[in-house]
Amino acid sequence: MNKQGPFHKIRPLISALAVLSLLALFFLFGPSPSFAYDLEQKVVKHELENGLVVLILERRVNPTVSLYIRHKVGALQEDEGSTGAAHLLEHMLFKGTKTIGTKDYRREKRILDQIRRTGNALDLERLKGERADRGVIDGLSEKLRRLQTQAKGLMVDNEIDRLYTENGAVDLNASTGQDLTTYHVSLPANKLELWARIESDRMMNPVFREFYPERDVVMEERKQTVESTPKRKLTELFLATAFQAHPYRRPVIGWPSDVQSLSMDYIEWFSRTYHAPNNTVIAVVGDVDPVKALGIVKKYFGAIKPVSLPPLRITAEPTQQGEKRVALEADANPHLLIGYHKPTLPSFDDYVFDVIDALLTRGRTSRLYRTLVEERGIAESISTANGLPGAKYPNLFVVMAAPRHPHTAEELEAAIHGEIEKLKKEPVSPRELEKVVNQFRADLIRDLDSNAGLAGKLSYYEAVAGDFRYITRHIQVVESITPDDIMKVARNYLVPENRTVATLVKRGKP
Amino acid sequence: MARLALVVLFITALLIPPSDGACSPPLPDPQRLKYPPLTFTPPEPERVELDNGMVLYVLEDRELPVVNVSAVIRVGSAYDPPGLEGLAEITAHVMRTGGTRAMTGDEIDDFLEYTAASISVSSGTDAASADLFVLKKDFDRVFQIFSDILTRPAFDGKKLELAKGLKIEELRRVADVPQRLAFREFRKVIYGGNPRGRLATIESVGRLAKEDLAAFHKRFFFPRNVMMAVAGDVDRKEIVEKFRSRFAGWQNEGRILPVAPPGEKASSSIHHLQKEGPQSTIIVGFLAPEKKSPDSYPFTVLDFILGSGGFRSRIFQEIRSNLGLAYSTGSYYEGREGYGIFGSYAITRSEATGTVLSRLLQILQDAGRRQVREDELTWAKKSIVNSFIFSFSSTDLITTQQMMIEFHGLPPDYLRAYRNRIEAVHPEDVLGVAAQYLRDERATTLVVGDESKFDRPLSTFGDVHKIDWR
Repeated sequence: MNKQGPFHKIRPLISALAVLSLLALFFLFGPSPSFAYDLEQKVVKHELENGLVVLILERRVNPTVSLYIRHKVGALQEDEGSTGAAHLLEHMLFKGTKTIGTKDYRREKRILDQIRRTGNALDLERLKGERADRGVIDGLSEKLRRLQTQAKGLMVDNEIDRLYTENGAVDLNASTGQDLTTYHVSLPANKLELWARIESDRMMNPVFREFYPERDVVMEERKQTVESTPKRKLTELFLATAFQAHPYRRPVIGWPSDVQSLSMDYIEWFSRTYHAPNNTVIAVVGDVDPVKALGIVKKYFGAIKPVSLPPLRITAEPTQQGEKRVALEADANPHLLIGYHKPTLPSFDDYVFDVIDALLTRGRTSRLYRTLVEERGIAESISTANGLPGAKYPNLFVVMAAPRHPHTAEELEAAIHGEIEKLKKEPVSPRELEKVVNQFRADLIRDLDSNAGLAGKLSYYEAVAGDFRYITRHIQVVESITPDDIMKVARNYLVPENRTVATLVKRGKP
Repeated sequence: MARLALVVLFITALLIPPSDGACSPPLPDPQRLKYPPLTFTPPEPERVELDNGMVLYVLEDRELPVVNVSAVIRVGSAYDPPGLEGLAEITAHVMRTGGTRAMTGDEIDDFLEYTAASISVSSGTDAASADLFVLKKDFDRVFQIFSDILTRPAFDGKKLELAKGLKIEELRRVADVPQRLAFREFRKVIYGGNPRGRLATIESVGRLAKEDLAAFHKRFFFPRNVMMAVAGDVDRKEIVEKFRSRFAGWQNEGRILPVAPPGEKASSSIHHLQKEGPQSTIIVGFLAPEKKSPDSYPFTVLDFILGSGGFRSRIFQEIRSNLGLAYSTGSYYEGREGYGIFGSYAITRSEATGTVLSRLLQILQDAGRRQVREDELTWAKKSIVNSFIFSFSSTDLITTQQMMIEFHGLPPDYLRAYRNRIEAVHPEDVLGVAAQYLRDERATTLVVGDESKFDRPLSTFGDVHKIDWR
């Protein structure tokens, strides 16, 4: 039944850059007003007294339920020098709570405090670099090792995962992006209370067990998903180049030197401050009675105290005034990224970019696929994404392409620019525009077939756009877009001085 | 009334003022939560056999105005003739893109994308599949295209050249992602000389001609070698009629030549592929029970305990949680027809390659020497049984699944009996399959990484075969 090869079976536990693929999905999404299934009416939205927003959608197709928790915090909120904190926190929240994962919390806490102090001292010494005292480092490392062994004896490993798995959970995972941190799981519908019990507890009482080994796991994750994967490394360089001042320039997984010295204190502060109920959206989709489900949510999450969120001081990205170009040399075949700054939702222009996105690369009949892959045979692959690397702040429209040997990245880039010029000069035909609208409409219907998909989208738009009804209203805006709007937006934004180009260049053999 | 009572109850609960986290009422022990019973009788697809022998499963589902059709065909890369590796994959690709006798490939693409329908055809190792998604209103026209693609593909020469060019470019790029390279190379070493270990090369793809595709299609795409499943907003009787009339003229002209399952290995082997980079990909694999074998149940439990059961599984727990030496690590098991495949893997920094490989081997060997703990077994069985409900999460899935059960030659009550078969697994059964299938001398190990940085030479694990892949 599984038609996929073994590689797909690697469970991508906790992926830091999931936001990339998520966005690609989210922006190809639009509803049909004529379709009888009225999402706006069916979703029960409730705000608890502590500010937690709950969305519940009853879908009695089979006895399962999908659950999404989205905290409105991500890499955006991290301080300089502490990049990767949001993502490391996401990993730490799988380590248990005061009542889950411990044999004796009071004794365990004493050791965890010692681990914290020892680890802090060790990190501080290491940060001295050349001037660090080798003897001090060795002594502290040995002490940390001893303490960790002691702590191990008092903890129950991976208890959250065990509880969920044993109760039949699937798709248990989490992801961190620039804007949001997400925890999701699907369960047999009768196990809703287990989820509420675990999740409310990890919002209130997380315990950071195995902090230092987990920090090493994240370093391995970085090596695997960035350092060993030239395309991802290129994306990191590309974003750091396109953004000069805004935090979107930083990688979600964090810069290596930051991740290596992230402290338990900072992660704990980050958790207390931002994983607050008044900064959180929950979606429950599946075979549940909305009244009962809301009751369970209130019972467990209602007691969590709201916090006053610190004012967010985000540097605005200054207007770009000239093309930026950057190259990465790596042991891999050429690849190309071209990005343009643009506004984010709910700007009208952002909707126009959703349409441009589909016109350019959605399907075999899309402009770039048909001309560059099929007709001219110069591209191996081509795709676009509207809204990288986040959607809270002005972001990028990005074209991603790989040339087909012997054609070069330069040749491919010129051809892409040619197609973009066409968008500015020639109005899109009514049939081509209709095709895109038809696809957006069908997407909604298609997406209604999945509890997890719905829970993901409802909670995403509630958290990012401030209202889940963005989903149902998107199509109305898209339907109003004219060929003139497309030309205007293309002329405004898709210009050389607003452009960043990053290329992966195959390293010459030594 | 019952619902009203509940509402009142929950509102009362809320009226208790939210207090400081420290003094909030104690949370119940998650182990002792009581759950309402879960009852569910999944709808059963109807099985129909057409006059030409094609099997069809049908299930009505009126929730959404859409129709899904899936087809499975007994053909795959295992059936590629020597020297023409890639033929099954390229044939599937060009069936989809190369047009039919009625329409060109471009006309098909234009029509499908305008109606927001989708058709895909792809080929795996032992089976190929074709899938259709369409809004109900466009079903008839899109279904005609779908059936033409399966029965009368045109294999347009230009689209064939494109498919070959794209596949060749993909092969040129295969080493750009080291893990992808590793899992691909692993297939070659675990299957040895078996056809499943012969993979497409730039040369073999370059040789493929239109006549090869047409002959391959004729030989394998015939009604008795295909099964289909249809689910969605359809009338059962009407849809069966549509399948009957659409496929009535399709004759059983081809022939099935079974491909022997991969043979047992004479001895263990260690393979190394030199690739510079910060990490090594380590894979240790074994041939495993076929899907039909009674051993597949204890083996499923074994695989869960070893590495596919998430954070608590042994490999993940040790290599990731305890040692912090990998982000991706675990195992997988897939029972197929005539054979099965088990693999365990870890992606770790080059300097820890020896440490991780040796831990991995210890965990695997230990499974064949010591019985699993009772609590581990309970956890694994409960997990598999409790998550089983997700096999029925859409009517499309239910229907396709029933089709695949027959395709794999499993008994019709396979799914109904599945949970009981898992629950009946004893510790000694798990030990038995581990001792039988995970014997040291049957292991195939592959390491893709930069040997100059390894903490321990691979030769300390045994004779190393170097793979020259450039």
